[in-house]
Amino acid sequence: MTISVVTKKGRRFPTVLALSLSMLYTLGGSLAAQADNIQDFYTQSFEQIKAQYEGEPFVVSLWSIDCAPCRVELKMLGELKKNDPDFALVVISTDSIENREEAADILDSYELAGIKTWMFADAFVERLRYSVDPLWHGELPRSYFFKADHSFESHSGILTREQIGKFFPSIEQ
Amino acid sequence: MLPTLGQAVLFMRIFPMTSRALVLLALFAWGFSAQSVSAESCAALRELHGNEIVSVHCGGAPSASFDAQGRLWVAFVQDKHVYVSYSDDKGASYSEPVQVNEVAEDTEFNGENRPKIIVAPQGEVMLSWTTKTSSNFTGLIRFSRSVDGGKTFEVPRTVNDDGLTTGHRFDSLFLSDSGNLYLTWIDKRDMEASLAVGDAYPGAAIYYAVSKDFGKTFSPNYPVSQNSCECCRIAMAPQGDDKVAILWRQIYDSQIRDHAVAVLGPEGEVSGLDRATVDDWYIDACPHHGPSMVQAQDANQYHMAWFSAGELHKGIYYARYDLGQADSNQLIEVDATPGAGHPSLAQHGDELLLAWKGFNGVATQLHVMSSMDDGKSWSPVQTVFNTEQASDHPLLISDGKAIYLSWSTAQFGYVFKELSHDD
Repeated sequence: MTISVVTKKGRRFPTVLALSLSMLYTLGGSLAAQADNIQDFYTQSFEQIKAQYEGEPFVVSLWSIDCAPCRVELKMLGELKKNDPDFALVVISTDSIENREEAADILDSYELAGIKTWMFADAFVERLRYSVDPLWHGELPRSYFFKADHSFESHSGILTREQIGKFFPSIEQ
Repeated sequence: MLPTLGQAVLFMRIFPMTSRALVLLALFAWGFSAQSVSAESCAALRELHGNEIVSVHCGGAPSASFDAQGRLWVAFVQDKHVYVSYSDDKGASYSEPVQVNEVAEDTEFNGENRPKIIVAPQGEVMLSWTTKTSSNFTGLIRFSRSVDGGKTFEVPRTVNDDGLTTGHRFDSLFLSDSGNLYLTWIDKRDMEASLAVGDAYPGAAIYYAVSKDFGKTFSPNYPVSQNSCECCRIAMAPQGDDKVAILWRQIYDSQIRDHAVAVLGPEGEVSGLDRATVDDWYIDACPHHGPSMVQAQDANQYHMAWFSAGELHKGIYYARYDLGQADSNQLIEVDATPGAGHPSLAQHGDELLLAWKGFNGVATQLHVMSSMDDGKSWSPVQTVFNTEQASDHPLLISDGKAIYLSWSTAQFGYVFKELSHDD
């Protein structure tokens, strides 16, 4: 188990590049409307996600189609989300968004297709990973517990119900 | 060329025990030739020739090897097909790509999964790859070859012989001096058998097959090891004229994902199976981060480079594994900077090179360092490329005359560059 505590300070972002990419992907997204709830994840997405949860705790789960242990975690998260729709959960796939249909099918099988999720939308995956956490090596599943002040703890490997219950004591298990 | 401050600091960290005189000598002797990039980006090619162009510069996850005549062969994936191009000018120009599989298949292409290509001394062009068969980690180990110098390829065959719809992925290919072609992969048939009787099974297994007629026929599948990690490439290096040593990520105590080594023989003999790295990486996850291994000057010793985020070691590491002693030594922390990963080793003559990727938040760096004494001491780190666009894992290969970088990048296209030494 790998646990590290990092404050939200100390990040650098390639702002100009991120902005231009963001505009590019927004444009692409609007041209090709999709039936699923999967959003493009680009270099500014994580900051936007954090802004949506300002002052609130939330859990982040990163997964990929290729990752067998991730399915164990997705199954558990799907069950928790079904029992408690207020569970503040952010699910991000590190697969290219070109594979969105395959990802959508998998999310659907864990009853996670109804919530907004994200997929990597830039082939420069190192930059996207860095935007989440510069100390993450890319191993999956990877998860984060963001407290209300957005300091966070990271975890590599399959999350357990106990870990989530400890972080969110109010959640319906 | 003098190293930067950061390189010097890293250098000092790598050589805590090295004498100052040797350090200074290495500082002045070291230096790669200036890198100029002549490759073409896929974006530029598409602008000229349209989006349908098939090229080494556009294909996914290329890998390369030299034939006995010094011709460079590159295999890559594009639009569900494996393609082969060759170059007679060491990557300055490439032949028109030839399609290997006529019928499209969901060929895996990513950092840890790529088509492999080896050309036999008599000219057979032999390829292996993994074809994905579902979203649930299933795949087939595929093989094809050309017996007319790469003009046409045989209909691909499936080499895993269990007939199961389960995981057979992460293939690696190796040709021994004696002409045994070894094909090894990560296999989930034993996991399926365990689950069928209600037993838990951590990870997957390593299997292999051998061809003694340059890919015309293959042996039955032979088991190597149970409980391997499921998602990392397997490294292969010579052992004698006839055998091969392999290095892969293995699960220890159900939870630790470090590395194991074994020697495979042509009749299914597995020997020397042992733990090769002790990093204590406790993780029930996919690292997607396979090792690299080449034979040392002592034929029973191997240079290893790998990544771990273990309790004991975090970052890229180098060590030498002694097959006779079943022990690793000369452990060096190569790069513990966050973002460092995917090391590749190659040796030619006295020169041993190690290349890997770094990421500083904005750009990817391609780092290289060199040892002229069989891995005992190392040069400072040279950063030979810097790119603010996407890139593949770097691979090093040798033609017996020099060491080359094989690296697919969005900015420069497919980079094939000699990493020469100045002295």
